[in-house]
Amino acid sequence: MSPTTPDPGAAPTGPAPGGATAPPAGIDPRGPRFSAAITSVILLVTVLLGVGGLATAALVLLAAQAILFAWGAFAGVARHPFGAIYRALVRPRLAPPAELEDPRPPTFAQLVGLVVSGTGVVLGLLGVAAAVPVAAAFAFVAAFLNAAFAYCLGCRIYLLLVRARVIRPA
Amino acid sequence: MELAPVLVVGLGLPAVALLLGLAWRARDGRVRRVASAAATTSTDAAAVRDADALGLPAAAFGADATLVQFSTEFCSRCPATARALGGLADEYDGVRHVDVDLTHRRGLADAFRVTQTPTVLVLGADGRAVARIAGAPRLDEVREVIDSITGRSRVPHHA
Repeated sequence: MSPTTPDPGAAPTGPAPGGATAPPAGIDPRGPRFSAAITSVILLVTVLLGVGGLATAALVLLAAQAILFAWGAFAGVARHPFGAIYRALVRPRLAPPAELEDPRPPTFAQLVGLVVSGTGVVLGLLGVAAAVPVAAAFAFVAAFLNAAFAYCLGCRIYLLLVRARVIRPA
Repeated sequence: MELAPVLVVGLGLPAVALLLGLAWRARDGRVRRVASAAATTSTDAAAVRDADALGLPAAAFGADATLVQFSTEFCSRCPATARALGGLADEYDGVRHVDVDLTHRRGLADAFRVTQTPTVLVLGADGRAVARIAGAPRLDEVREVIDSITGRSRVPHHA
């Protein structure tokens, strides 16, 4: 099965009021978790550079990670470089996934990561050096929970943001 | 580079994240008994049945119980939960499962105070919520609730 094979099991089982669109092609759910593991290491190193006094190095690394988040958020997790590493090096050594997953939840999580790390980068550039490790620490916790516990950021904060009027769905 | 803060944060931050994950996993998906799920916005709104507030056709509801699942497009665990609850509902004649997509329905998310997905309500035959589950439900606990609603008793293996 190719990573772009649509997952028949992902089709909604009940009525979907509100004009929900058909889910896009499924992805191997282990790909985003593999990416999250690498991301969490990058973010932890960023935090440690920041608290260790290497503020510029921390800022540069957080900016690099923000670019990676932007890549995942706007090009889609299926085109993320860590996803490509997963498909090239890890997936051939594993059994096929039991089921495929909608790419929209991990793509949403990448966007949240971009907002958090981007805020840290902007504040860091404005001279608030402490914002860099703080932003990296929040993003690290989310990435770690995703990698270690399959924690789904979209499950926990999408509706919170909608109900707080931060996100206004069409 | 100062080593002391690096060591403290380098060990402390992953430890905090690990504890957060374990605490989340211990609570996630537990069944909580409730009186009624829909928010009461006026004095007599308590009389509004949860089933009516959902705005679904009557055919969506089971004769004995209904598993109402709230999902969004950004919820990776919702499709698997829908399959599990659909299979569970199939085990009972009078139980149905319905999946409600809240991605574009803020009003419904507000009315039922849904903050995370999946969130599942177990409605009784009268259309009122008897239980609520935040997170991917623990199926054995959902079965217990349905059995208590339908009066069906399972004979223990050792009896």
